[in-house]
Amino acid sequence: MSTSPAHKWLRGMSAVFMKDLHLELRNRYALNVLLMFVLSSSLVVAFSVGAESVSTRTQAALLWIVITFSASLGLGRTFIAEEERGTVLLLQLNIPGSQIFAGKLLFNTALILSVNIIVLFVLTFLLNTRITDWPLMIATMLLGSIGLAGATTLLSAIVARAASSSALLPVLLLPLLFPLLLSVVHATQNSLPDGLGLNASIDHLVTLFAFAGVVISASVLLFDYVWND
Amino acid sequence: MTEHPHVNIKRYRLIRTIVIVWMSVIVFAAFLLNIPRINILEHTARNLYFHVPMWFTMMGAVGVSAWHSVQVLRGGSIISDIRAAQAARVGAWFGVLGLATGIVWARFTWYVGSDIWWNFDPRQTMAALQLLIYGAYFVLRSALDDPEKRARLSAAYNLLAFSTVPFLLYVLPRQMASLHPGADGNPAFSEMTDPVMKLVFYPAVIGFIGLFWLLYTQRVRMSWLAYRIQGESKY
Repeated sequence: MSTSPAHKWLRGMSAVFMKDLHLELRNRYALNVLLMFVLSSSLVVAFSVGAESVSTRTQAALLWIVITFSASLGLGRTFIAEEERGTVLLLQLNIPGSQIFAGKLLFNTALILSVNIIVLFVLTFLLNTRITDWPLMIATMLLGSIGLAGATTLLSAIVARAASSSALLPVLLLPLLFPLLLSVVHATQNSLPDGLGLNASIDHLVTLFAFAGVVISASVLLFDYVWND
Repeated sequence: MTEHPHVNIKRYRLIRTIVIVWMSVIVFAAFLLNIPRINILEHTARNLYFHVPMWFTMMGAVGVSAWHSVQVLRGGSIISDIRAAQAARVGAWFGVLGLATGIVWARFTWYVGSDIWWNFDPRQTMAALQLLIYGAYFVLRSALDDPEKRARLSAAYNLLAFSTVPFLLYVLPRQMASLHPGADGNPAFSEMTDPVMKLVFYPAVIGFIGLFWLLYTQRVRMSWLAYRIQGESKY
């Protein structure tokens, strides 16, 4: 068996990821909360808009408002749950910080990506629109989810350490998401009917990629200070 | 112990006197000196002496705050945390004033005859976001009771937020038009500003930065005393 540092690092990361996945699949709390939140808020959006046809810009904006708020509610669980279960010390002893962060980031990305796909289908169905540029939509969803999870993971660690209610997370998260939201709404609009399509949206996708890169690098650098006492 | 903010009282009083006299001269010069009258802009051009230096000061304060947040993470001393928080607090006040002067100025020049108060100018949006970030920063601080923990966690948040803001410099100008000088191919500030106005403007920038320094160091010393006297309590 190879035991190179990179191999060990990946094993630690996937151990954290699999642990969270198993726990999640056992009671499905985070997933169920997110699903219900997403379904009910999508219905609220659809009923508020009514039979009126709204512009694709508004549709894209509504989609990402629902996604952002569900992320700020649902993704905070990962670290708060560790505090509640009293397993923080165990994790700190067994696995280096960067691997914990990477595992949690992976789990959050998977969670928000699956939720995003559901919101996308529910809202396109309710708002009677359709997606004309699938490659663009897939790229937007993927990069948007990674950026969203990247910004949220470190913040949820901060909120968990602050040991107060999770109402703090949206307050901390939303001001940071602005660059992401601007690009993601434009890219989504371009993938809807009468949109400009993939070729006109490369700029937005590059921005999303860079945003995810910057936020994740900053989080990796800062995580040890937040995580270790 | 090198932790406490040491102050040379004579130097402090000297700088305080200079700032007070300097700013008084600036205020008189700003309102009394003759300036070229441009259509629509008219006398509102005098706002240049206040609005723009407030922005510069706020940007400087953001830098000072981030720098001391780095120091918190490197050394972990309470005084760095006090400096980061007070730079953010005083900077936020300059930001609020800069935003207010900007909104009123834009309403009666760029949007004269319309009902537009809030517009999505890139610089205005950035400023509003920076204020939101500092609002969140102070909410986070108030949620933490242990001074050491508060220093560490709020520094981490301040720096994460600081890493996303330069992004806006790249993203926003591509998505919204700006009427500010120097943006979007508009004539640069140095080309279209009268020499008389420059004579007041540059000293005003220095004066506002001096004012910031005065308020900031005062608040740092006050917070330090409050921390020493009350120990665990909020500062």
